[in-house]
Amino acid sequence: MSAQTEPLTVKDLNTESPRWCAGCGDFSIIMAVKRFMVDAQLTAHETVNVSGIGCSGRASFYIDTYGVHSIHGRAIPVAMGLALARPELNLFIHSGDGDAMSIGGCHLIHGVNKNFNCVFIMYDNELYALTKSQTSPTTRKGHKTNTQPAGSYLDPIHAVSLVLGIGGSFVASTADWMPDHLTNTLKAAFAHKGFSFVHVSQRCPHFDPNNFDHKTSSWFSFLEDDKGIAPDKRLVGKTEVVKHDPTNKEEAFKFASSERPYFGLFYVDPNKPRYDQILINQTKETPSQPIADLFKTFKI
Amino acid sequence: MSKENLKVSRFELLMDAGFGAQKAGDILIRAFAHMGKYVFIEPMIPAEISPPARSRPALSGVIVRTAEFDLKNIGNDTDLIIAQHEIVLDRRLDDEEYSPDCKILLDMGYKASNEDSYEQVCKRASKNGINVYPFELSAEAQMLIKALGGKGRNMYYLGMLSAIYCVPEEFMIDEITAIFGKRLAPEVYDKNIKIFHYGHEHASTNFQHSYEIAGKPSDDKDRILIDGNTALSLGLIDAGVKLLSGYPITPASSIMHTLAKVSPSYGGMVHQAEDEISAIGTALGSYFGGVPAATATSGPGLSLKQEFIGYAGVAEIPIIIIDVQRSGPSTGMPTKTEQSDLTAAIFGAHGDHTKIVIGVGNVLDCFYAPAFARYLTEKLRLPVFIMSDFIMANSYKVIEKPKTCELKDVDDIPDYILDHFWMDRLPDNIEMVRDIQANPGTPGQMRRVTGLNTDKSGSVNYFAKTNQRSHAVRNEKVHHVQRALRAPELFGGVEEGELLVVGWGTTRGSIAEAVHSCQDQGLKVGGMCFRVVYPLPLMLKEIFSKFKKVVTVEMAYGDEYKRTPLAMFLRSKTLVDIEPMVCRATGRPISPQTIENEIKEILK
Ligand code: SF4
Repeated sequence: MSAQTEPLTVKDLNTESPRWCAGCGDFSIIMAVKRFMVDAQLTAHETVNVSGIGCSGRASFYIDTYGVHSIHGRAIPVAMGLALARPELNLFIHSGDGDAMSIGGCHLIHGVNKNFNCVFIMYDNELYALTKSQTSPTTRKGHKTNTQPAGSYLDPIHAVSLVLGIGGSFVASTADWMPDHLTNTLKAAFAHKGFSFVHVSQRCPHFDPNNFDHKTSSWFSFLEDDKGIAPDKRLVGKTEVVKHDPTNKEEAFKFASSERPYFGLFYVDPNKPRYDQILINQTKETPSQPIADLFKTFKI
Repeated sequence: MSKENLKVSRFELLMDAGFGAQKAGDILIRAFAHMGKYVFIEPMIPAEISPPARSRPALSGVIVRTAEFDLKNIGNDTDLIIAQHEIVLDRRLDDEEYSPDCKILLDMGYKASNEDSYEQVCKRASKNGINVYPFELSAEAQMLIKALGGKGRNMYYLGMLSAIYCVPEEFMIDEITAIFGKRLAPEVYDKNIKIFHYGHEHASTNFQHSYEIAGKPSDDKDRILIDGNTALSLGLIDAGVKLLSGYPITPASSIMHTLAKVSPSYGGMVHQAEDEISAIGTALGSYFGGVPAATATSGPGLSLKQEFIGYAGVAEIPIIIIDVQRSGPSTGMPTKTEQSDLTAAIFGAHGDHTKIVIGVGNVLDCFYAPAFARYLTEKLRLPVFIMSDFIMANSYKVIEKPKTCELKDVDDIPDYILDHFWMDRLPDNIEMVRDIQANPGTPGQMRRVTGLNTDKSGSVNYFAKTNQRSHAVRNEKVHHVQRALRAPELFGGVEEGELLVVGWGTTRGSIAEAVHSCQDQGLKVGGMCFRVVYPLPLMLKEIFSKFKKVVTVEMAYGDEYKRTPLAMFLRSKTLVDIEPMVCRATGRPISPQTIENEIKEILK
C-alpha cells in the first residue's frame, strides 16, 4: 500500500456538490465522516464507502474515496465481500432507515451477528424520503405520510434496541446536528474492531421539518462514561448527562427502550468473535497445496 | 452362469434412501474404471432427506452405464435392475426406461407381509414383458445384516452386481477398502466384506446370466473419476477464484461443500450467506476489491439474484454466476433436471441488459468453464453465467486428468481453454462505460460505482446522449464476444444435409451419440451444441442454410404454440424456421435413442 504523501484535508475528500435538499442532515453526516478521516489521517484511496439506495445512498458518491453505491438494502452484503477480500481497507457503510431496517433488515441481522469489521452508519430520518414520504419502519406513530395519510399506524421499530437484541458488539446513537458528538462517535466506532453500529437521528427538512427540534436539547440525554463517548461539548449544561457503563448490557437495554431519547455509547463488547477474521485466519492457517495435487483424491 | 460379451450395458440399483445404494454404485464404478472400462453414473436422489422406507418417494439409487468405449451420456434403456423391494421398483417402472429384455432381480425379503403388493408389481412388470427374477438374501447374510442393525444390504447387492458384471472380487475388495476401510470399525468392516462375498456367491450360483464388457486396464495416462459439481469446484480453484459465496440450494450446494473443504488449501474461502441476494452481493464486494469471486445457485436463487446481476453489468463489477438448473418453475422438482433457465439467464434482469452465458455439457467443460468465465467477466466487466444442471452436476465420469492453468492474470489465459469454447482472444482495449476501473488501494483513481447511469468520468448523469452511449458501450462488449466466437464443432464434420440437430449444455452427449449413429447409418444428419449460448456466433445463419431443416433438442417444455427457449432464441437470431424436435420437462435426461427415433421420424 502506498502512503498518502500530503496530509489529508477535508478539501481532498470533497467531490461534486451533493444533490441533497438545503438543510438536509445528510450534509452533516458526510462532513463528520470527512472530519473523522482527517483527524485520523486515514488514507483516502484505502477507504471504501458502501451505500444502499435512498437519499443516504448517495453518500458514497460524495466522499472522494473508493465507493460502491449498491442496490436497495444490500450495502451490507457488498461490504462483507470487501471485508473478506481486502481486510486492510477502511470500510464505512451508509444506510437509511428503510434501507437498513426494511428491505435490508435480514442483512442487518446477519451483519451484526457476523460482526465483520466496518463502521455502519444508519441515517434515520424516520421516513422514506427519496421516494417522496412514505412510512418507514422507524416512522413515529401518527405521522402522516403518502402511504398512511391518516397517520402511520404502528409504533416504530427502535433501531438501537433491535441491534442490542441481536448481539451488536458496538451500539451507539448520535444526531446529525451535533457535529462534535457525531465525529467522536465515528472515532470510537472506527477504533472498535467489529460491526460498529452507529445510529444517527437525521433531519429531513423537506418531508418532516418539525421532527427533531435541533434548537433545544432538553428532550434528550447523553450517556457518558470513560469507556464511552463524551457528550457534545456545545450542549453540556443544556441537558441531562447520565452515567452509563457501556459494558452493562442490561442497563443499555433500559436506556434503549426508554421513551426519552439517549445519545451516546449504549454497548460495546470488544471480544465478540468476528466472522471475517475466522474465515481469513482459517485460509491463512491451512497449509497450502500445489495445484498439481488438485485431482489427487479423484485419481482412479 | 453363461457369459455374454457386451460393448455397452446399463444397469440400476434401486433401494430405499439411506441404505447406501449410491455408495455401492461409487464402489462399483471405481472398480470398473480401474479395469479400464468407461463408466457414466447418474445417482437418483430423493428431494427429501429420509422419506419413510418402503414408500415411493424413498426411491434412491444409481443408474450405471458402462462400455468399452468412451461414454458421453447416461444412455438409453436399462438392461438389468436390482431392486430392494417391490415399491421402489414400481416407482421406477413409471419412468419407462427399461429395454425390452430388461432383467429385474427383485429382493423378496419384504414379501411375507406384502404378498399382494409384490404380486401386483410383478404382474405389472411381466405385462410389460420384463422378466422378474425373485431372490432372497442368504440366511448367513441376513444374520450379519441384523447384527449391523439393518445396514449392509447394499453390500450384498454389490456382490451380486460384481458377479453379474464379471468384476473379480479382489478388485471390489480393494475399492470397498479404499472407501470404507478407515471409516469403519474392523468388525463392522469384516461383516460388510462377508455380506459382499455372500452376494457374489449368490449371484454366481443362482443367476444364469453374466456380462463382460471389454476394457483396457489403465494405460499410463492419469485418469480421474469426477462429477460435474466437483469439476466446477476444482475449476474455480484453478481459475484463481478465491471466494465462493453461496446459499444452500439443491443441486448447487455440493459446490459449496467441496470448496469449503478444499479451497482453503489453495488460498480460497467459502462464505455461506444469509440469503441468495446477499450471496451474490458479497461476491460482488470481493470482486470490487479486486479478488475474483463467484456465486453458485439454482433456479429460485437465480430469480432472487437478478437485481444484483443487473447492477453488476451497470456498475461494471465482474461476477461469475453458476446456475445448476433444476426442474422449475418455482420450487419445481429440486432433484430433477431441466434446461428452462436459459431465458432467465439471458434476459433475466430488468432493462436492456448485457451478459455472457456459457453452457456446460460434460465434466471437462465444467472444469474449464470457470477460467473461461473469469477471462470474460474481467475483460468485459459483465456478468458471466455458467449454466449446468442437476444431471450434469451429479453424473460421474472417468476422464483423463485435465490440464491445469493456475490462472492469475486473465490475459494469460491459455489458448487451449479459448479453443475449448471455440472462441478467439478478445481485443486488448475494450471500452468501458467508465474510464476508471481501478481496485481500491490504487492512489488517485477513486473508482466509485453505481447502478445509476453515469458518464465516462463516473459522474451520475441522466442526459439522453450519455444514457444511449452507456447502452452502446455495454452492448458492444457483447458484440466483441460475438465476433470472437468461432463456429461450434459440427458432429462428424457433417456440414450439410437434410437435418441439423442443435442443442446446448447437458444434452450434448446424447445429441452427439444419436447424430453419430444416424450418420453411421448413412443418414444426412448434422449436429451441433453451443458452449457459449449467449451471445451466439455470427455465422449461424450460414451454417443453418446448408441443411434443409434445423431442429433443437431441449430439456424444456414446448408444444404446438410454445417454443422452447433455445428454439425461440435461434429463430429470432437467424429467421430460420427452427422447431424443437425433442422438448421435454420430465425431469429425466433425454436418451440418444429418443433423439435417434425422432431424427428418423422426420427423415421418413
Ligand atoms: S428529502 Fe429529506 S433526506 Fe432527502 S435530501 Fe431532502 S431533506 Fe435530505
